[in-house]
Parts: sequence; structure tokens; C-alpha cells
Amino acid sequence: MERKFVCIICPSSCQIKVEYENKTIKKIIGAQCPKGEAFVKNEIANPLRVFVGSVKVTNGNFKLVSVKTPIPIPKKYLKHIGKLTHSLEVEAPVAIGQTIALNLLNEKIDLVATRKVNKIIN
Amino acid sequence: MKTTNNHYDVVIIGGGVVGCAIARELSKYKTSIAVLEKEDDVGWGISCRNSGVVHAGFNYKSGTLRAQLCVEGNKSFAKLCHELDVPYKKIGKVIVAQKKEEIRELKKLKTQGEKNKVGGLQIIDSAELKRLEPNVKGIAALYSPETAITSPYLLTIALAENALRNGVSFFLNTKVKNIVKLKNSDFRINTNKGEFTSSYVINSAGLYSDKVAHMVEKDKYRIYPCRGEYYVLDKNASWIINHLIYPVPKAGTGGLGVHFTPTIDKNILIGPSNEYIKQKDNLSTTSQIMKMLSAEAQKFLPLISSRDIIRSYSGIRAKQAPPSEGGYWDFVIEESNSVNNFINLIGIESPGLASAQPIAKRVVEIINKKEKLSPNSNFNPFRKGILRFEEQDEETKKALIKQDPDYGEIICRCEKVTKKEILEAIDNPLGVKDLISIKYRSRAMMGRCQGGYCLTRIIELLREKYHLNPQDITLKGEHSSLLTGYRSDEVKIC
Amino acid sequence: MLKEKEVIIIGGGAAGLAAAVACQEKGIEDILIIERNAYLGGILNQCIHDGFGLEKFNSSLSGPEYAQKYIDQVKEKKIPFLLDSMVIDLSTQKEVTVINRQGLQHYRAKVIILAMGCRERTRGAIGIPGARPSGIYTAGVAQELINLKNYMVGKKIVILGSGDIGLIMARRLTLEGAEVITVAEKLPYSSGLPRNINQCLYDFDIPLLLNHTVIDIEGNGRLSSVTIAQLGKRGGIIPGSQRKIACDTLLLSVGLIPENELSREAGIVLDNITGGPQVDERGQTNVPGIFACGNVLQVHDIVDNVSLEAEYITEGILDYLQGRISESQEIKMTLGAGLRYVVPQKIFTIKDTIFSFRVNQPGKKKTLVFEEDQKLIKKKYFPRVNPAEMLRVKLSSSELKDINKLKVKLV
Repeated sequence: MERKFVCIICPSSCQIKVEYENKTIKKIIGAQCPKGEAFVKNEIANPLRVFVGSVKVTNGNFKLVSVKTPIPIPKKYLKHIGKLTHSLEVEAPVAIGQTIALNLLNEKIDLVATRKVNKIIN
Repeated sequence: MKTTNNHYDVVIIGGGVVGCAIARELSKYKTSIAVLEKEDDVGWGISCRNSGVVHAGFNYKSGTLRAQLCVEGNKSFAKLCHELDVPYKKIGKVIVAQKKEEIRELKKLKTQGEKNKVGGLQIIDSAELKRLEPNVKGIAALYSPETAITSPYLLTIALAENALRNGVSFFLNTKVKNIVKLKNSDFRINTNKGEFTSSYVINSAGLYSDKVAHMVEKDKYRIYPCRGEYYVLDKNASWIINHLIYPVPKAGTGGLGVHFTPTIDKNILIGPSNEYIKQKDNLSTTSQIMKMLSAEAQKFLPLISSRDIIRSYSGIRAKQAPPSEGGYWDFVIEESNSVNNFINLIGIESPGLASAQPIAKRVVEIINKKEKLSPNSNFNPFRKGILRFEEQDEETKKALIKQDPDYGEIICRCEKVTKKEILEAIDNPLGVKDLISIKYRSRAMMGRCQGGYCLTRIIELLREKYHLNPQDITLKGEHSSLLTGYRSDEVKIC
Repeated sequence: MLKEKEVIIIGGGAAGLAAAVACQEKGIEDILIIERNAYLGGILNQCIHDGFGLEKFNSSLSGPEYAQKYIDQVKEKKIPFLLDSMVIDLSTQKEVTVINRQGLQHYRAKVIILAMGCRERTRGAIGIPGARPSGIYTAGVAQELINLKNYMVGKKIVILGSGDIGLIMARRLTLEGAEVITVAEKLPYSSGLPRNINQCLYDFDIPLLLNHTVIDIEGNGRLSSVTIAQLGKRGGIIPGSQRKIACDTLLLSVGLIPENELSREAGIVLDNITGGPQVDERGQTNVPGIFACGNVLQVHDIVDNVSLEAEYITEGILDYLQGRISESQEIKMTLGAGLRYVVPQKIFTIKDTIFSFRVNQPGKKKTLVFEEDQKLIKKKYFPRVNPAEMLRVKLSSSELKDINKLKVKLV
């Protein structure tokens, strides 16, 4: 089997061709650095992505705090995490990097805040 | 006037500019009046969707109602707009000939106009045309200084608000299903919102006036929908023309030809086209017509670029003339000759806007002959619209902000509409909540970014005022919600 | 009553914030940022995806995090700013009229920095025929509704335009539970970054239909369907390729337009291709003392470049304030084949200059050539070029020494 990838690690966006059988890679053509090679290996075996979403905030100057997983997670969980964020809520103030959720889906998937939210004083 | 249950002396079916003008005119007398309108707001049929031109009256065959009422309306329009606080500008029109044969047509129009008592008409040569309109291509023109422009939707809304203030009841979202003539000669009008009874019915249902007429009498009228598409140009292009620019009209078509209208808000409209269509509510724009409009624009105004286009929309004329014939039939403004006290307004297309008040006066005359109406001493002709912050001078702006800081928050950036104006539009006397109604009343979302900046802000203000759920915010009518709910509502994974 | 300022920055988004910080670092104290929103950061606030700051901060930040880096500096350096304040007028004399809840205020500045960003091209502007139901949004508005207001715009989405905003929204909507049926793109290639096509479309099996556009819209009240069709080589519709797609939402990602209404008012000459002001090597417009940077000057794809551009023009601003700009002969610049535009559009003095470009179409193994008549001044090789990616090349004053004219082309 053959598949073409556009590497997403850096803006060079190298076009890498991979020949593989089942999950065993036979050949990698076009990677310009070891990160690219690692990327395509992962894409075949266990594609990982950073999840980005939002969580409701109470008493904040923004209604939502943007969140992400601090490390890439298996692609297959993205939609589930998205759905889970709907039931989460956090109290303002929120600092960038603050943990919003831990060990989601029991898969050690955490969410951290990527926006600073101030508390509004009514 | 007292009413028992839902009995009114007069029920007006159709809240367009004509229906609302009639309501206001009747409210000058001691009568109980109700306007039944099937949409969420007044004017959503034809009245909000035309060029807003207050014609001078030379386009119409002498002796017709169209000619008489247009000239009468044109002459009293400034006063009407002053009373109702509606924008008005006597901007003048040029009908431009591009071929020699067309000059003959211009002369015919001038003669007809003078016969109709239209003032100031002049045939001008290419040099004078060049002076008046340096960017228009033409060899001669008929200049009509009495032609004016207004805001057709603000006028309709103002007429309604003034009528409301003077005691008229408005029933929106109320669609007439059938009408029965009762033994005591009253009418029973069945709607989706319940029953009304009345002594008089005025059928000003526009595109559906044939259908309403047929609820009480035999098939007499037929309305053929004839759609006109428009382009709206960015205000940055408004320098290109100074007057209304029309081509020489061609006989046997559905309209007056593609023209160029500077609007009262300083956009330019290109259009309308004219195309007989099958459905009365098909307001789609089409790529063929849009191409045609661009081509026509190039013919007369080569300086217009497609980059100036900010929007297109369409309106539908209520024509009596069938597609095989085209052209115009005269207004029908008469009591039915088979059903007493049922007054039909059929085929009110151009110059319906200019003629609205005279039409209303004619209807009052018809009733007056039968009833001897007594004047309502409490009638107040004046209505105040929403103050346009952008139009005020600097001292006034400063004073306004000081008095109400909501004037200091500009929500619609393109049209410079303040939070105060939008709040007033949201809190309108008719209680309408649709975004398009707020747009008509405040001008917000009408600019080049088409709501890109202000939409989210207006949604928040609307929700706050009426405590609406996100899915209850509608664009135009109940099936047009903008949002499905909160992002954080429960979802199924697909 | 007129308040005098040294530097007024119109817009407190990425460009305005970076310009403010850079001006302060160069010793300019009397700065005022005027921002119409209730918060600083501009569009970055709604760009919650990451990928920002790869060059400036060596990390992959979200938009809000990137903005916060500058907001923190603005606050630390105590640079004054006005929020909820709209500039309604800008004159050639560098007078600014501002409106906010406190009133109407006039300012006059020695230097004005235009940093107003851009707006989205609308359905009306591109003239898609059909009905006008609810459910049609530009991608940025949908993004704001979802990411800032916690609203959901629809359930079954079609996206027109494969620019980055459209692609990002395809992913966003999918992760929030909507079904993105397809992304249609009228060009034969996507205008988005390759990594976004991968992460936003391929990851979720969302088909990308190149050479397709929307030719009709139906819906009574709310959108009920769009009709897409394939475009032939000359841009016409291929007969029989029309396909109706049932959906309730159409998202438009069909271009950004620099927001230059104020610039027009001030008599600033705009470039027809970029939509932004014509500027010289200092970032100065044709009005002395009015400079421009960020999306209002040219639409950027990477915010790091916006910050770099804002920092770059502060040199020129300091030159201006210290009277170092003198009358000079324009060095005529011509744009050769292969390029859509170049910024700056004009050169008056020789200094280290950063040139920004976009190419006309995608290509491989291209060389950017700077020359005077036939004499080569500089060239730069690019293995791959894409209209979606702005190119930036620096030429030093020694490289540009003694030239009387300059031609730039892509070979």
C-alpha cells in the first residue's frame, strides 16, 4: 500500500510518500528531517492530534475559555472529547495553562486553558 | 370606538404601504380599524422591496387612476414624509435616450406628463445631460425635477406606527383563511389566529388580492407575479450619479426598464429586471438576470464595477396584465359590485408607493359616501422615527452621548448605527423581533460587510430584550432561525 | 478641543499591539491604541486553534495565547489604550475622531498607524444567486458565534472556499457535533495551508471538491439546500455537473478584504490588488506620517509575519518622528511575471527592506529574481510556492545600493 502525506510538524509541509503493509512501513520518501519520518510512522500506526475546543466559563469576561490537550491524543478520540467539553464548566478567573479537566475517557487525556479569562465583578 | 370581541368597523387585509396608508387615513375618523397581516411585520410583500421612487407622473396614460393618484401623491409626498419623520429627497430623474428614435419617445412622455399636470419637465441635449450627469452615456434626456426618492420600508413602518398610535389595531402573523358575508351584512373573517367580524373589508392584500377577492366573489381578478431583481452598490460608488437614471421604456414589457436609483441612504440600486414567474413568493435572484443587470449597467454607466456590488435582492410586482400582454392595467380601487362594503385594491404596482396616500383617501371617500364618517379630533398626524445619530452634527452627537451613552457605542460599523438606535429598533411599537425588521428600522446590517461585524452584537441585544433562546432568533419569519441552540447543548456523535 | 499625541494606533489586534510594543521599545512614549472591541487582541480572540507563534515564540500557541503575549507587554509597559472606542473619521491632517460611551473626542497625532485588519467577502459581494434564507454565514462570523458566544450555527454544513478559515471551521464544526458534508473550492487548488487540509478535511473524511462552486441556494425560512457545480477551464459551468446538496448551513470562506474605509477618507492611495494602502520601504502611505501594517495593508496567513511587519515599520516611524525622511526621487518598481503583488509598492530611499509577495499560482522550484534592467541584484530559490503563502525576502541596503529602478519577477 502507498499513501502520500503532507507533514504538519512545521510550515515546510514536506510531501512524504510512504509504502507500507498493514502497519509495517517499508519505505519513506521525501522526509527532510527525523520529525517528518516520525510523523508519518505515527500516521500509519497511531495518528495523534492535539484537540482544540472550548469550555463554558461562569462569571468571566469571556463566555468560553479555549482549551487544548497539552499533548497530541489518538485521533479516534477527538469527537468524543469534543462532545465531553459540552458538559464541562469552569469558574473565572482562568489562567493560561490552567488544567480544566483531567484523565478524560480514562485515557489520561487532559485539557488546559489557552485563553486568559478575567473574573467580572458585578 | 368600542369593539365587541373581535368586531371592527373596518378590517384591512394586508399591511403593505397601501394597507397601512388606508389604516392611517381611516384613523382620522371615529372608526374601529384592524389591519390583518400574514407576515411577522408590515411591508414584507411588495412594499419593502422596490426602488423607493416617488414618481412624478409622466409615465402613465392621462386620465387613468395611476396618472391622477401619482401626481397627487407626488405633490403631497414631502408633507407626508415630514409628518411621519421619513427620509425624502427630491433628487430628480433623467430618462436617457441612447438612440435618435428614442428622442421621439421622450417627447411623448413630456407631453403626457404635462397633460397629467407634472411640473418642470424638460428635454435636455447631450451637453446639458453631460453637465447634470457627467458619467452617464446618452445623446439626450427627459429631465423630471419633481421625481423624488424615499425609503419604502421606513414609510410603510411609519404609516403603521402612526396608525397604531391613532388607535388602529395591528394583528401580525394573521393569515385570512376565508370570509363569510353574514345575514346582518357584516363579514366574518376566519384567520389562523381566530375570527374577526367587521362591517367593511378592505382587500389590500397585494400579491394575494386576487385570492382574497375570490373569498367573497366570483373569479374576477388575477394577479400575475412579475419579479424584479436588483443589485445594491457600495456607497463608495454613489458619486457616479446625481439623479435617478432611467432608460427609455419599452412597450409590452413588465416594467420600466433597468434603471439606476440613488437611494435615500446613498447606495445605488441597479434594476429591477422584469420577469413573469410562476410562484408569488419566489424571491430568488438568478444568474441570468444578474448578468443582464451588469450588462445594462455597463451600457449606461461604464464606471460601475462588479467590485462595488454588496448585495442583490428581488421584489415581485402584482400585475394584472398577463404575460402574453405585459404592460400595465390601471389600478382597481373600487367597492365590489357583487358584495357590499367589500373594497378591492387590485394590481397596485408602480406608482403604488407615490400613490399610497391618495389611494387611501379614495378608499375613505368610498366609505364616507355610505357612512358619513365623523372626524377623530384626537388624530395626531405626527410620528417620530428613530433618530439617526450619523446624520447629526457634532454638537448634537456630543449632547446625545452625554444624555444617553448608548449613542456612544457604534454597533454597525459600516453604517455607523449606534446601540441606542438598535435598541429602539428592537423595542419597536409593533413588537416585531425578526432581524430583518431591525435591519429595516435601524439600517444595521445594510452596509458593505452585511452584518459581519454587528450580527453577533445584535443577537445579544435581541436575546436580552426579549429573553429569547438562541434558536428563537429569526431572520425573517418563524422558520428562519439563525442558530440551533447553544454550542454546549448535548450532541450525538456522527 | 483637540488632544495631541505622538503616535495613534487604530486597531488593537495583532498588528496594533505589536506596533505599540515595538514603538515603545524604540523610546516612543506618547502612544494611544484605539480599539473598538471590549478587549484587545482583535481576531486572535476567536482563533482558538494553535499554530500561532511558531516563529516569534518557538511554540505552537492558540490565538488568544499569542495575543496575551502582547497584551501583557502593553500592560507592563503601561501603553495607553481605549476600548469600546470607534474611530469614525480620519483626516489627511492626521486628525482622528473617536466615539465611545464617554463622548466624542478629537485627536491629532504626528504618526498614525493603520492596523484595522480586514473584513470578510460576503455572499452578496460574490453574487451567489438563489434565495436568501437564514443559515448563510461567513466563516469568521460563524467562528465568533461558536468560539466567543457559545452558539451553534447549524447541523449539516456545506463550506464554500478552502481558505484556512473555512478549513479550520470544518474541523471546529465537526468536533462540536455537526456534520460537514463537503468543502467546495472554485479554484483547481486549495488556498489553505497544506497542513490544514490534512488536519481539517482528510482527518474527518470531509471531501474537498476542487473546481466547484455554489450556483444556487434554496430555503424557505432556513437554508434547505445548495446546488454545486463543476467549473470548466474557462470558468463556465460544466453542464450536467450540477448537484443539489441538502443542508441547513452554508459557510463562506471566499476572501478577506482589508478594511480601508478610514484610509480612503484620509486620501490614502490604495493598491487595487492588495486592497490595502500603497506603502513605501518604510511602511509609510502617500500621506506623510501615516503608516500601515498587518491585514489592513495586505492579508496575511501567519500572524507571526503580522508582528514582524509591525515591528519593521517602527524604524520608519522613528525616522519620521526624528525628521530623517527627506524628499527623494522614487525608485521605480515593476512587477514581473508570476507575482500577484509586492509590498512595498514604492521605494524612495535605500535601506534594509523587507519585501512581501504572493505568487499567482502554485508552482515548484521557483526563483524570485530582483534585477535592475538585466543586472541581477538578488535571487532566492523556493522549492514550492503557493498563493496561500506569503513570501518575505529581505534585501539589505548594500544589495540595493545605487539602483535607480527595480524589477521583481518569479521564474
